[in-house]
Amino acid sequence: MSTKEERERIELLQGTLDLLILRTLLLGPAHGHAIAKAIEFNSEDVLQVEQGSLYPALHRLIKRRWISVEEGTSENNRRAKFYKLTPKGRRQLTLETRKWDKLANAIARILRPARQEDES
Amino acid sequence: MTRRKRMLDDLEQDIRDHIARETQDNIDRGMTPEEARYAAVRKFGNVTNVKEETRDVWSLIWLEQLLEDIRFGLRLLRKNPGFTAVAVLTLALGIGANAAVFSVVYAVLLRPLPYQDPSGLIVLHETTPKVGEVSVSFPNFIDWRAASHTFAQMAAVESVDFNLAGITQPENISGDAVSPNFLSVIGVRPFLGRDFDASEEKAGTAPVLLLSYSLWQSHLGGDPNAVGKTITLDGRSFTIVGVLPPNYRALDTTDVLLPIGVWATKNADAIKERGDRGDMVVIGRLGPGVAFGQARAEMEGIAARLAREYPGSNDQFSVTLHPIREAFVGDMKTAILILFGAVLFVLLIACANVANLFLVRGASRTKEIALRIAFGASRGRIIRQMLTESFILACFGGAVGVALAFGGIRGMAQLIPADMLSGATVNLNSAVLLFVAGVVILAAFIFGLAPALHSTKPDVQSELKEGGRTSSGGAAQNRLRGALAVAEISLALILLIGAGLMMKSLYRLLQVDPGFRPDRVLTMGMDLRAQQYSQDPAVLNFWQQLIDRVSALPGVQTAAVGTVIPLTDSHSRSDVTIEGMALPTPGNYPHPDVHVVSPGYVSTLGIPLLRGRTFTDQDNENALLAGMINAMVARRFFPNEDPIGKRFMFGHPASDPAKWYTIVGVVSDTKLYGLANPARLEVYLPFRQNPRSYMALIVKSGADPAALTSAVRETVQSIDKDQPVFAISTMEELLRNSVATRRMTLVLLGLFSGLALVLGAIGIYGVISYSVAQRTHEIGIRMALGAPRGDVFRLVVGEGLKLAGIGIAIGIAAAFGLARLMSSLLYGISATDFETFTGVAVLLALVALLACYIPARRAMRVDPTVALRYE
Repeated sequence: MSTKEERERIELLQGTLDLLILRTLLLGPAHGHAIAKAIEFNSEDVLQVEQGSLYPALHRLIKRRWISVEEGTSENNRRAKFYKLTPKGRRQLTLETRKWDKLANAIARILRPARQEDES
Repeated sequence: MTRRKRMLDDLEQDIRDHIARETQDNIDRGMTPEEARYAAVRKFGNVTNVKEETRDVWSLIWLEQLLEDIRFGLRLLRKNPGFTAVAVLTLALGIGANAAVFSVVYAVLLRPLPYQDPSGLIVLHETTPKVGEVSVSFPNFIDWRAASHTFAQMAAVESVDFNLAGITQPENISGDAVSPNFLSVIGVRPFLGRDFDASEEKAGTAPVLLLSYSLWQSHLGGDPNAVGKTITLDGRSFTIVGVLPPNYRALDTTDVLLPIGVWATKNADAIKERGDRGDMVVIGRLGPGVAFGQARAEMEGIAARLAREYPGSNDQFSVTLHPIREAFVGDMKTAILILFGAVLFVLLIACANVANLFLVRGASRTKEIALRIAFGASRGRIIRQMLTESFILACFGGAVGVALAFGGIRGMAQLIPADMLSGATVNLNSAVLLFVAGVVILAAFIFGLAPALHSTKPDVQSELKEGGRTSSGGAAQNRLRGALAVAEISLALILLIGAGLMMKSLYRLLQVDPGFRPDRVLTMGMDLRAQQYSQDPAVLNFWQQLIDRVSALPGVQTAAVGTVIPLTDSHSRSDVTIEGMALPTPGNYPHPDVHVVSPGYVSTLGIPLLRGRTFTDQDNENALLAGMINAMVARRFFPNEDPIGKRFMFGHPASDPAKWYTIVGVVSDTKLYGLANPARLEVYLPFRQNPRSYMALIVKSGADPAALTSAVRETVQSIDKDQPVFAISTMEELLRNSVATRRMTLVLLGLFSGLALVLGAIGIYGVISYSVAQRTHEIGIRMALGAPRGDVFRLVVGEGLKLAGIGIAIGIAAAFGLARLMSSLLYGISATDFETFTGVAVLLALVALLACYIPARRAMRVDPTVALRYE
């Protein structure tokens, strides 16, 4: 029983990182290091993730065919793999974002009921 | 797999690049290269872990999911024991029937023959338009071999048999006298000892032989020093030069193999006479790169040339070629393939039924599935999970099916006479198990895919919102279930028509008058080969004593001997000349079957005498040569006159004084070659005027003829203790065996179509009762609005009959085409027999009606108030 709960918690974390990657790639194809940089920069270091954990996540997304890979050269003419959002991934991002918003709202309502009453 | 490999292959490089970029960034920010690298590595985390986790993405997840699916599937199946039991049993019947029939298909049609490159081996016969395929004469074989370029090698194979003193009692063994190159042509090496030598082709060679492995075991106890020892056959001593391998397989039973020179020594006439076609076939190996058609064209040319050169013996004779596999398969092929088709149909029906079960259960699972999709499970994932479930079910079905097939094969072995299998062993081997594995996978997809696709269809998902009572998804599902029921009905109809046609054929066939009375008659063969029978009086004396002593046995009504027992495939034919007839060309002489018989033969077998008299003891060595003819000879050659007193002779008119036989009687035609085959010309001769060393004894008993066997055998041994008897059988057994292929086809087809009918009925019952359950509400409204109960009944039954009607129409159309494939197995009716077709259609309609009756009664009892309150 407890193992199952643990697994769900891990999946939730993985899902979050997945969402962030998809969101980053919405702006255009990027290589692994650039994605890590972008997430770091946009979250202003709030999300402390080890950059390495990006790779299992990328592969998971490739496997689900939410993103695809292209060989290319980076800005300073070095070989690089560019990850790109697929149409399927784009749909998934919309879905996940909506779910995330709902969840965030729900949690916000629970945590700050007074504020909500004030507004209404 | 390839995607996974491609992705993982340069993972290391990707990670190195990533760290290099981070290091560069750090240097740009002003760190020393060493610090920069250290910071980058720390920020990246444990490289080994990352690599491992990434690898896991590609491998573990699907494996884990599969295990999870299997666990989930097993749990579901355990939770619905009724559903599981019905589905597994249905599949087991379908798969088991397939495994059993495939084991026969494999043994007879597919198992590689134990020869080297069997595809290049060809069996050659002579053929004449009058008789069909006949044996090859030795001089023709010699000329074929000399003239042919398409064949790399040719070997003659002459069937022979011997009397062997035996262990407990004397026995008759059989074998082949073969050209010395025979074993190398087929690519078999002796297990022990040596192969024959080219010098052993000529008459006068020393008597040597190879023993079969089983004879070596049974008579020499597998003696490793058997080579060089001698064995006595027909009172002659033969030197054993070798032993055949245990898997040796020939067209007939082979106990011994000897060089043709040994046979030629004793058959000086046969090797000279071009018209003497004894019991010889020719096996040839095609030269490298030679096509079958080329060889046939060449051989037909050679045969045509020989026919021109030797019109007296070869006019109208040509040659036929068959790949050796065909020679082994014989006339079983059609029956086997039809049965194989039939079991595939049964499997399809079983799959349709299980698919129906899945759909019903799928309907109750709609909400569960909708929930899972809402929680983010992909459609493919759910389909995969459902297919895993089907696969588990199919595996169980396959396991139980193999167990059923185990018993089924034993049952089928009893239906198939051993000699029809030409030495093929039918068993559950690895090839059959492989086939079952294929069937299991195929079945899982056939019955699993449609319900899985259907239950996860997006429009079905609206069920969740609609509360799942009446929705478009339900209608689509009913259509699918209806289509499955229609398919079952039409497949069942095709099988039933096949069984019906076989049943009517067999009935017609068994009504055919064989021309003799088979009841209470025992027969057995004897061949007098010992030295003491080299003179005719000794032979006659043996037969006369045998008849006299056996007739005197208690329980025996009459006893007689004759050379050709009906339905045994043995035959003896000869050209005859009828006195005064217009002389035909050499190939067109009357060619009747010749029976040499004792006086009591015709009455013992119950062959009616039509004119004149039968033979008496006075038709002996000292009397005028006498003969009887059958009705067909009388009709054809004496259409407007009394044949009694007319004369005939054997062979063609020649200068040497003719031996004329005077016709003393006319008897009925007998079906010598099976009930389905037309009667032939027959003549009968008294045995005392034509001594023969081979005869079959026939005994008419007052009761069970088989009970006389040991008493008769003892009587034979009391005359000559070393004389073997063989081919012991009752005439009724022979008659049964003659229709064995048809009977087997009928029994199995009947069984399969019965199964199909039951499954089809269950299918239609399931569809209708489910539809009634779904429409309880609607039916309630109808009744509340005043619809009479009869209308409701008609509504439900009408729905069922509509499905049955469509199924029957499709089935009849398909059966119209398919039944033609079995016309060679039919007798006395056409493949589109009107009575059978209508009879089966009516039967199926009645069964469908019955299957609808129960749900219709349930519908009539619907209480409107209860039905309406449901909402």
